[in-house]
This record gives sequence, C-alpha cells and structure tokens, in this order.
Amino acid sequence: MIDITVPQDLWDTEDEGVIFVWIYADGALVEQGKLIAELTVEKAQLELTAPASGRLKILAPAETIVRKGTVIGRIEPP
Amino acid sequence: MKPTPQQRIWMYEAMLKSRRFDDAVFQAYWEGKKPVFHMGKGPLPGEMHQSFGQEPTAVGICVHLGPDDAVGAGHRPHHVAIARGVNLERMAAELFGKKTGLSGGRGGHMHLYDNSVNFFCSGIIAEGMGPGAGMALARKMQKKPGIAVAYNGDGAVNQGAFHEVMNMAALWKLPFVCVIEDNKYAVSVTTQESTVVPAWKRAAGYDCPGEYVKGNDPDLIFEAAARAVQHARDGKGPAILELETERLHGHFIGDSAGYRSKDEVAAQKDPIPLYRKRLLDEKVLTTTAMEALEAKVQQEVDAAMKFARDSEYPAPNEALQRVFA
Amino acid sequence: MAQEAPSSGGSSRTLTMARAGREAVIAEMRKDPNIFVIGEDIAKLGGVFGTTVGMADEFGAQRVVDTPISETGFIGIATGAAMAGMRPIVEIAFVDFIGVCFNAIFNFAAKTHYMSGGQFKVPMTMMIGYGGGYNDAAQHSQCLIGTLAHVPGIRIVTPADAHDAKGLMHTCLRDDNLTIWMVHKAIWGLGWLGTAIKTAMATVPEEEYTIPFGKARIWREGTDVTLVGYGITVHHSLQAAEKLAAEGISAEVLDLRTIVPMDRDAIMKSVTKTGRVVVADEDYMNCGVTAEVLATIAERNPKALKAPAVRVANPDVPVPFSRPMENFALPDADKIVAAAIATLKS
Repeated sequence: MIDITVPQDLWDTEDEGVIFVWIYADGALVEQGKLIAELTVEKAQLELTAPASGRLKILAPAETIVRKGTVIGRIEPP
Repeated sequence: MKPTPQQRIWMYEAMLKSRRFDDAVFQAYWEGKKPVFHMGKGPLPGEMHQSFGQEPTAVGICVHLGPDDAVGAGHRPHHVAIARGVNLERMAAELFGKKTGLSGGRGGHMHLYDNSVNFFCSGIIAEGMGPGAGMALARKMQKKPGIAVAYNGDGAVNQGAFHEVMNMAALWKLPFVCVIEDNKYAVSVTTQESTVVPAWKRAAGYDCPGEYVKGNDPDLIFEAAARAVQHARDGKGPAILELETERLHGHFIGDSAGYRSKDEVAAQKDPIPLYRKRLLDEKVLTTTAMEALEAKVQQEVDAAMKFARDSEYPAPNEALQRVFA
Repeated sequence: MAQEAPSSGGSSRTLTMARAGREAVIAEMRKDPNIFVIGEDIAKLGGVFGTTVGMADEFGAQRVVDTPISETGFIGIATGAAMAGMRPIVEIAFVDFIGVCFNAIFNFAAKTHYMSGGQFKVPMTMMIGYGGGYNDAAQHSQCLIGTLAHVPGIRIVTPADAHDAKGLMHTCLRDDNLTIWMVHKAIWGLGWLGTAIKTAMATVPEEEYTIPFGKARIWREGTDVTLVGYGITVHHSLQAAEKLAAEGISAEVLDLRTIVPMDRDAIMKSVTKTGRVVVADEDYMNCGVTAEVLATIAERNPKALKAPAVRVANPDVPVPFSRPMENFALPDADKIVAAAIATLKS
C-alpha cells in the first residue's frame, strides 16, 4: 500500500492547488506511471501519475484544495 | 546569367501568346456590352483585368521554373498563367464560364487554378502571399524540391499579409520568391501616393535579398529572377523581386483611367514590339521564323477561343457541387 | 445516454475535453507525418488553453510550429501547405481573433476547393476556443458560431463532452476539407476557468473512433419539450431538465454536435414528438444558430409546434465585463427552465 501524495516538485510556488478531476473511479485498477488525476494550480493544469500499480483509493475528491505534500489517495493491493 | 537564345524565344512566344489572348478576350468582352456597358452581359461577363504591357514579368521568372515549383497570381493573372503553362483552352473556357473551364466555370477570370502546373490565383489583394509561402513550406516539410513564387501588385505591399508572410518566410527560410509587379498604379493611386518605402527596400527588414529591375525588359528580368530563384533553391530563404512594368490599359476593362495624364499614357512603351525587334536585330530569329512563330501562336489562341465558345455551359444546379471534397 | 464502453485491458477513464482532443490529435500525428500543428504559443506553452500540451516534446519544432502574431499570414501559409499535400491543424486560441484574419478563412480557405472546381483540396482543421462566463469581456468572450457557420465551405464542429471531442477530432483530421473544431472554454477542462462541469467530462475509450458530422445526440429523452443546444448550452439544458423533472415536466435534451452540417432530421424528430422547443445558444441571438434551428422547423413542419418556440441566447449585446451584467447576458439553466415553462403555458 502506498500513499498518493501531491509531489513537492509538481509546481514551483507554495500556492494551493485544487484537484480538478480524477481520471479513474474509486476502486479502479491503475498502472504505475499512468496519469490518474489533474490538478489546477494558478493558470496550469498539472498531471499526477500513479506512484505504483494497484487499486485506487480516493481520499480527497475533486474540488478539494490541496498543498504540496497533501495525501489525496492510496494505491492498495489489487 | 543571360538567357540562351532558346530561352529568349520561349519568353517572346509566351509574351505574345498572352498578348494575343488578351487581344481576343478584349474583343469578346465588348460583345453584348454596347451601347450600354453592363458588366454582367455578353459571353465574357464580370470584371476583366488584362495584362497588356506586363507580359515580361511573367516570362522573366517562369522561364526559370519547372514542374516541382508552384506559382500564385492575383486578380490580373493571364500573363502569369500562360507563362506557367496553364492549359489555354481550359483557361479560355473558364473565362467564358463554360463547363470545360479549369474550374468548370466556378472561378472565372480572377480565380484561375490549374493543379497540373501547381498554379493558383486569389482575388483579394495580397491574399496569395500566405498560400504561396505555404506551398514553399510544404516542399520544405516534405523534403521535396521546388520553390513557390507569388505575384503581387505594387498596391499589395501595404496589406498586412505582405508583411506577415515575408516575416515568416524569412524566419523559417522558406523557398519562396515574392514578386511585385510595379505597374505604378493600384487602380488609381500611384505608388508615390501610397507607399513610403517600396517593397524591394523593405527586404532589409526581413533580412533577405531585394532587387528592383527597371525597364520592363524580359532579358533584365531574367537575370534578376535567376538570382532570386537560385537563392530560394539554395535553401537560403525568400527573396523580393520588384519589377517595373507598364499597365497599358485601365485597371479593368471599362476603366478609362482618366486619372492618368495623356502625356503619361503616350510615353508608355509596349515591351512586345521592342523585344520582337531586339530578337530580329540580334538575329535570334529570322523574320520567316518569327512570322511562323507568330502564326502558330495566333492559331493556338484562336483554337482556345473557339473551344471556349463551342463548349457548353454547366447545368445550373452544378452550382451546388464541389463545395466540399 | 449510454457512453461508449471502455476498451478492454484498462480501467475506464474520465477525461477532460482538452485531454480527449489532444489524444485524438496525437494519435493521428503518430500515424500521418503530413499532419502538423501551427499557431501561437503551441510549442513550449502547449497552447493558451492546453490544446497542444506535450506535442512539441514528442513531435518536435518542425511539426509543432510556434508562429509570430500573424494570423492572416499563418492561416494563409497553412492553407497553401494543405493545397500542396500537408494536413495542417491551425490553432486560434480565441474565436474573437478571427476578425484579424477572416479573409484568409472565409475567402480563400473556404472557397478554394469550390473555385478551383475541386482541383485543390484544403484538408485543414482549425482548433478554436470560444465562449465567456469568466469576465473576459466583449473581445475575448464571443462565440461567433453564427458568423462562421454563415459562409459556405466551412464545417463547424462543436463537441459538448470529452467523448465527442475525441471522436469528432478524429473525423476532422481525416476529412479533406476546412473544418473548425471549436470548444467552449468553460467546458474544456481548465481549472482556472472554473470548476469542472462534470457532464463535460466523460468516459473516453483508449482506442480511436470517429463520430460523423451532421449527427446530433440525444443526451436525455423526454416527452414534453425539446431543449436544443450545443457546447455549453447542452450542460445548461441538462441542469434545466433536472429542475423541470422536479416540476413534473419531461424535457428532451438534443445536442447539435455539429453546426455545419446541422442534423435537421434529428431536430424535426424530437420536435415532432414533443411539440415544444427551446433553443439555447451563448452566441448572439440575431441571425444565428437559434434562428437556423427555428427556420428548419418553420420550413419542414411548423404544425409540429403546439406553442411558439423560445430562444435563449445573448440578447445582442457585446458581452459585458461586470459579473451581474455578464450573467444576465449569457444563457443558463434557469433561463432555459423559464423558457420551457413558457412554452407549456402558451
């Protein structure tokens, strides 16, 4: 099991972002490295990829405000 | 580099063909339009912008072009089309609006297209600059040989499109030659009245070569065109070639050009008899050969006009066809 | 409305319209080396509205070409390239900018196939963003669909969700004509233009598929009134249909999908069934898409209508800046609800 954390290097500033959309539904099987969510930070749509393969557990739904380091989900065993 | 005798004969023949064609068109145009001049009447309706006097600009450049190249002309295209080798019968038929025309009658005199020789026209001033440069871009992207040449009038250089396209053609080193035919008039407005810096001098602003050729002389145009065309072929980017020429008639048939002084008009020189005389004086052709050539040209023009007149009109509802591929 | 089933081998994906459109472009560019993209800010920036994110990295500067601010010039250049066998995609970020380059679009690109008697094709797709609702004022919020649709020779494609965005883009890129693929900025999927409109995002299959031009889509079936829209007004209409259902009114939501060609048969089929119609469009009301829909009904079967039609569109004002005024001018679900109720009261 591994946390899905908003990466520290996803954007440069300390601004907050918001989860715009989860590409996969809660419980879906996802592959490591594939796009699983889009975040909006200022005037940019940023891509969040799966840190591991497994079953997606969404903890923070779309429209949640996040910071770098926020845990927004988990990859659980398939 | 000077033209060979063959090239000079080719240039004369093409100029003469354009002139005789325009003569025939001029005659036909007035049918049905007297005593009342109504543009929409007669077998050759619509606007008609003829090339009397401008023939050298077409031949001096097209003599250097081949099947890989592309040429765009504007609303005064006859001399360029003929020099480029557009099918004369289908061109005449297009002017008459016949089914057998280049576009089946859909385009007419200002919109002559012949894809077999990569030739197109545009009816809006400077509109052909972009597509011409685009054909050059395609050749570069496809890594195919060939350059593109776009003909414009002296008035076109003040359209935004001229500047936009020259900047991009130079930026991307497109194999593109921009030809400006300076017949000194944009309808009734002279270049002095409209243009603070002529196109060929603006070339410095695009970091590309620009040349002005005086005299409306096919041999001089040939030499300057060779430089511009080679520059483009060598992958060095675009060139601007501005050519002094003469618009011997009004802007279009029906324009009496009252805005020009009688003295100015009287002083104009017709380039075709001048070149004819030069070729005879320099013994490039004998008188017999010259007369045979002229007879042949006249026959071709007559045949084209007959083909056009004898051809059928398109069915009216063909208007609905060919909007989309 | 059933969505396409996801492809086997992967979980089903919910994509934004932006991502779905890009997916189609990238797939086609991988197959056909003649396709290239040209426009402002499309290489490093990936497009002001994200139309080309990632493409310059994959395809290089030769195929994702940043231009100077020269719309007339580069649209003309792309047209000439298309005439010579390339298949360009031309990006114009804001439809409002067609003013500076309209000649290149409507006089040359749109008419060359016709005027040449079919000798020269113009297989060119334009990607254009349109629409308001985020206070960008009169010169950056227009739709101008009516203006573009009015001139012959242009196909106008207006997907309303990610599924249709991808399928219609594939169709555009395989078509040999001038096609304009237009996406309303508010449904595109950019967070900085507003919260996601959930109905604009959709399950998008991984494989390629096409959607034909001229085929409207019923998003929601109903019996009492037809709500016709395209782009963002499909989503306003869906919300309106929910609100109407709570009042016992069954509304059918019809998405035109493509404005040119327009699926007039679908309009008639729906209106014949319900007898009442509301047409919603964010574009100017006068002489536009709403009028064309009503003209279709008037020509084909005015007796189909049991009540006068109602149009919901910009009341012919430049889009105002100030929020209350902009909201007044633009269509929304409540205005469509009121319009639907009006047709039932007549």
